[in-house]
Amino acid sequence: MVRSTGNDAQALFHALRSAYAATPTNLKIIDLFVGFAVCTALIQVAYMAIVGSFPFNSFLSGVLSCIGTAVLAVCLRIQVNKENKEFKDLAPERAFADFVLCNLVLHLVIMNFLG
Amino acid sequence: MAKVSIFKAVITLLLPLVCLSFSPEEPTDRRILVLVDDFSLKSSHSIFFNSLRSRGFLLDIKLAEDPALSLQRYGQYLYDALVLFSPSTDRFGGSLDLAAVLDFVDSGHDLIIAVDASASDLIKNIATECGVDFDEDPSTVVVDHGSYAVSESDGDHTLIVSNDFIRSDVMLGETEIQAPVLFEGIAHSLNAENSLVLKVLSASPSAYSADPSSKLSSPPTLIGSAISLVSVVQARNNARIMVTGSLAMFSNRLFRSGVQKAGSPNKYPKSGNEQFVTELSKWVFHERGHLKAVNVTHHKVGETDEPLSYRINDDLDFSVEIYEWSGKSWEPYVANDVQVQFYMMSPYVLKSLSTDQKGLYHASFKVPDVYGVFQFKVEYHKLGYTSISLSKQIPVRPFRHNEYERFITTAFPYYGASFTTMAGFFIFSFVYLYQK
Amino acid sequence: MVVGNAESMKSDLLSSLSIRWIKLKTKQQEVLIRVSILCLVYILAFISRLFSVLRYESMIHEFDPYFNYRTTLFLTQKGFYEFWNWFDSESWYPLGRIIGGTLYPGLMVTAALLYWSLRFLRFAVHIREVCVLTAPFFASNTTLVAYFFGKEIWDSGAGLVAAALIAICPGYISRSVAGSYDNEGVAIFALLLTFYLFVRAVNTGSLAWALASAFGYFYMVSAWGGYVFIINLIPLYVLVLLLTGRYSMRLYVAYNSMYVLGMLLAMQIRFVGFQHVQSGEHMAAMGVFFLMQVFYLLDWVKHLLSDTKLFQAFLRVTVTCAVGVGVIALGVGTASGYISPWTGRFYSLLDPTYAKDHIPIIASVSEHQPTAWSSFMFDFHILLFLFPAGLYFCFKRLSDATIFIVMYGLTSMYFAGVMVRLILVATPAVCLISAIAVSATIKNLTYLLRTKRKVSQTGSTEGINGAKASSKALLDRSQPFQKNSAIALLFGAFYLLSKYATHCNWVTSEAYSSPSIVLAARGAHGDRVIFDDYREAYFWLRQNTPQDAKVMSWWDYGYQITAMGNRTVIVDNNTWNNTHIATVGRAMSSYEDEAYEIMRSLDVDYVLVVFGGVTGYSSDDINKFLWMVRIGGGVFPVIKEPHYLVNGEYRVDKGASPKMLNCLMYKLSYYRFGELMTEYGKPPGYDRARGVEIGNKDVKLEYLEEAFTTSNWIVRIYKVKPPNNRW
Repeated sequence: MVRSTGNDAQALFHALRSAYAATPTNLKIIDLFVGFAVCTALIQVAYMAIVGSFPFNSFLSGVLSCIGTAVLAVCLRIQVNKENKEFKDLAPERAFADFVLCNLVLHLVIMNFLG
Repeated sequence: MAKVSIFKAVITLLLPLVCLSFSPEEPTDRRILVLVDDFSLKSSHSIFFNSLRSRGFLLDIKLAEDPALSLQRYGQYLYDALVLFSPSTDRFGGSLDLAAVLDFVDSGHDLIIAVDASASDLIKNIATECGVDFDEDPSTVVVDHGSYAVSESDGDHTLIVSNDFIRSDVMLGETEIQAPVLFEGIAHSLNAENSLVLKVLSASPSAYSADPSSKLSSPPTLIGSAISLVSVVQARNNARIMVTGSLAMFSNRLFRSGVQKAGSPNKYPKSGNEQFVTELSKWVFHERGHLKAVNVTHHKVGETDEPLSYRINDDLDFSVEIYEWSGKSWEPYVANDVQVQFYMMSPYVLKSLSTDQKGLYHASFKVPDVYGVFQFKVEYHKLGYTSISLSKQIPVRPFRHNEYERFITTAFPYYGASFTTMAGFFIFSFVYLYQK
Repeated sequence: MVVGNAESMKSDLLSSLSIRWIKLKTKQQEVLIRVSILCLVYILAFISRLFSVLRYESMIHEFDPYFNYRTTLFLTQKGFYEFWNWFDSESWYPLGRIIGGTLYPGLMVTAALLYWSLRFLRFAVHIREVCVLTAPFFASNTTLVAYFFGKEIWDSGAGLVAAALIAICPGYISRSVAGSYDNEGVAIFALLLTFYLFVRAVNTGSLAWALASAFGYFYMVSAWGGYVFIINLIPLYVLVLLLTGRYSMRLYVAYNSMYVLGMLLAMQIRFVGFQHVQSGEHMAAMGVFFLMQVFYLLDWVKHLLSDTKLFQAFLRVTVTCAVGVGVIALGVGTASGYISPWTGRFYSLLDPTYAKDHIPIIASVSEHQPTAWSSFMFDFHILLFLFPAGLYFCFKRLSDATIFIVMYGLTSMYFAGVMVRLILVATPAVCLISAIAVSATIKNLTYLLRTKRKVSQTGSTEGINGAKASSKALLDRSQPFQKNSAIALLFGAFYLLSKYATHCNWVTSEAYSSPSIVLAARGAHGDRVIFDDYREAYFWLRQNTPQDAKVMSWWDYGYQITAMGNRTVIVDNNTWNNTHIATVGRAMSSYEDEAYEIMRSLDVDYVLVVFGGVTGYSSDDINKFLWMVRIGGGVFPVIKEPHYLVNGEYRVDKGASPKMLNCLMYKLSYYRFGELMTEYGKPPGYDRARGVEIGNKDVKLEYLEEAFTTSNWIVRIYKVKPPNNRW
């Protein structure tokens, strides 16, 4: 049972990896960025679990800035992905402009909320 | 500058002349109206009257039935104090009546009521309104077979002696009254519901109130030390009232008479009446025991201006000046039991004030961590002194949005993360745009 | 108004008919007609709300608006930062109230911005006028949003009808007449705007629209506590889409970016603060947010993997993990008290009887009562019948947008049934759905009429797409009387709509334009009598009492006393401290000497009661008295409701209970009333509000004295005497 699960996991991993290799570079960059943001968020949550949630607004703004950026980046990824037929009439430039705008708003609010 | 100081000097010179009457600045009474049943009292009580005159009072002795009697004219009171030596009057002349007398007291003026066995209902009603109930049976007097005054003629023991004084230097002066006080008159008791009335001179446990000429058919209603001989009331507005059932107590006869308490070997050549009455009248007429609190100030530590509100956890200084009237001038009042409360529904801070011996009382404390409308309260009620109750309202507000702690060390990782993400975003944008 | 509404109805007809007449520039013509109709509707929405200004004067209405007005005044005078940090020591004496942290600042900031921009444009307006006209102005704006929303979910015709319907719908007018300067006035605009932008974001999948909708949400959060409805409805909608297999990338983009940005923005409002991550009411949104991530991840992996068996395994593991983590997080959060449980108000929405049993202070407010059928009829009129029809059309043409409006309509209708005041929230949905019904029906009918005459014309009407299919189906089975019946139906529709317009007009002018601070009644000869007692009393307080005097009254009048009388009050309409209100309730229902102790402890200088016995004004303190007893008794068990009742009956005449006849409220209301002849042919002391002769005509006051009674006895003010001087 254990072995078969391990095999499954291995097979899954390999399959995912090979499939992922075909992803265009720009999407990979986005994935990297998302991964970075999620990691930062997780580190902060772990840190909060250790020191307690005292400056709660700082914690929230720290974590939400990461999550927000990650979510926005995922949205961008969805929109610029050529395989997604839903967004055919949305130009990638427009998508990126939207993404920048949302990020600006996000970080302005975070700045306000941080202190 | 010179002009101003001359002006000031003139004012200070003129001030005592201008302020002849009772005022917050000069609390001692000046003009006293004495109402009598007949003018023979002028001579029979002359020692008392003369002692008042010699202390600077302007006495206006009138018959109680005088049709021109009036306490006020054009809304201004003509007198600062009223002495009712007219026990048998059942109707005052002029515009004076029960309500007028009570209004007089309620507007801060003083009152002495002395009655004897002939006391009328009117006078008794005035006393009742002041929390003192005279014995309702008109024929009774205070009889004491235990501590009566030894004399040749009196056999029914209605001239009694008492030295059961209230223990208060403010009321009765600092020199102890050695000789007992002679009393001849009717008994009264204090209304239990009245919290302001005080027994100054109490009858001995063996006293009772009855008709000495008839046999006791039923137990007397007033007995023992429940009987008050002299009582005082200090009203909430600091008007002072003295009530006694013995008009004779003020008379020359008892002032002069020697006294020996029955069963006591001590014989005094002179009764304690003069000293007792004089000292008590000094108190009643505000020559003594009058306090004033001025210059209530509070400010944050390190500042001098009084703020419109405090913030929670502010440190503040509170100070008040308290002076005592000595009869001629305001002297610093020295005590160690003055307290200030920082009060909102209940005292959040209760602190004793420290004095600098010159009248200035001071305390500093921290505003509690609670917001709301607070009051600085000084409630000082000391036996014999006028009561001080000051309250000053001050709102306490919470922190403003920019007064909270910033740049907290524990939060640095969060700051770091936020800025890193921001930097990450810029790098990402750059890389994303130029990767092609 | 009839003209305006009928015109908008006619517009659909016109816009299609005119095509026949002038073939050139049909498109421009349509735009022109549409724009002019919108303009007319915009103006109509504004002017139909001005009845109260014409009938009475330009003034603030009711209770809460006075607080809003006072804070707006403060904001314009002292600036934003002072406002933000305002600690008000004039209300809730002696506790005080942090105004900046306990209000929704959206309304005040909006009005102040309007005021400042008008000032900048050199219009010398007074802030009161701005406040009075804020609600009508935003109602006009709502009609625009309704148009665009209607256009988004159906077509521009439905949008126009929706705009016209919502412009005069009584359910909305009740909260947005001139002078009704309350949060709801701008909140409905914000609510509809948020929904519109969100639906737009879902339809386009654009980040920009999602951002706009987050800003709409932010404005809503800043304006009204009803934003909780949005933060629950949208996740519910997303969940329904997920369950019905309508998940799309667009939905992911719209919801997630809107949620993250909206939540962050909402946290900037002090009153809301961390509630989005801490309170149980907001957890649904967060749960759905995480669910979306899991869904997306699965979708992505599925897309990457070609092997279904592998994916199945992966799916099992991921779902188990996700559910496990979610349950553990929720359990730990609730158990540790980190996630606060639902508030009483929320419970009372789910269970209408909850408030009655547990929170008398919520139940005591008349607008929190369950809605009666008649008031549905009153507020919606024909929309009530058009609503199901509209639902039918929506179900016939299901799309993401129509599903949204259907859900909005159904949930808000439920809430409207639970609480009277929530009719307001349901109104836009009802208008939109009804508009779909009206528009679709009329379009079908007119289409029928035209195609009979000229079948070839069909192609040119581009705006119509959904209706086309159904009308074609109708054509196929063409019957001989079709044309006539279509005309008859059209006339029927116009008749109904014009009835609706007259009804709205009548309701607005008769029922919803009363400021309730100035009362009007019909005199014996049919002339109008104005009772301006409230303002008389507040003005008296302002002029004749010391600056720092504290006034005790039942909480209904707190805001008005602080705003108009400028005096400190013990409790007011912001019912944040139940104990404090209960203390006042206890004082009012105690005997005079017990009440005196309470009043002394609260430093009360004046007591204000509202009394309608002379004028027959029924919402006075005696009629509210049982609530005071209940609220007081809820905290202080010495106050018991049965003591004030006789055989479960509440009465003030001779048969009343002795406690009732001698409690402070009774004494203050009926002091000296026993001497007064109120009505010809009745004994003195005849209470006209309750229609009985009072039971205790010889009221003596010991600790209070009458200070002021207004000309119609509606407001009576008593002064608390200082303690007896000699006792």
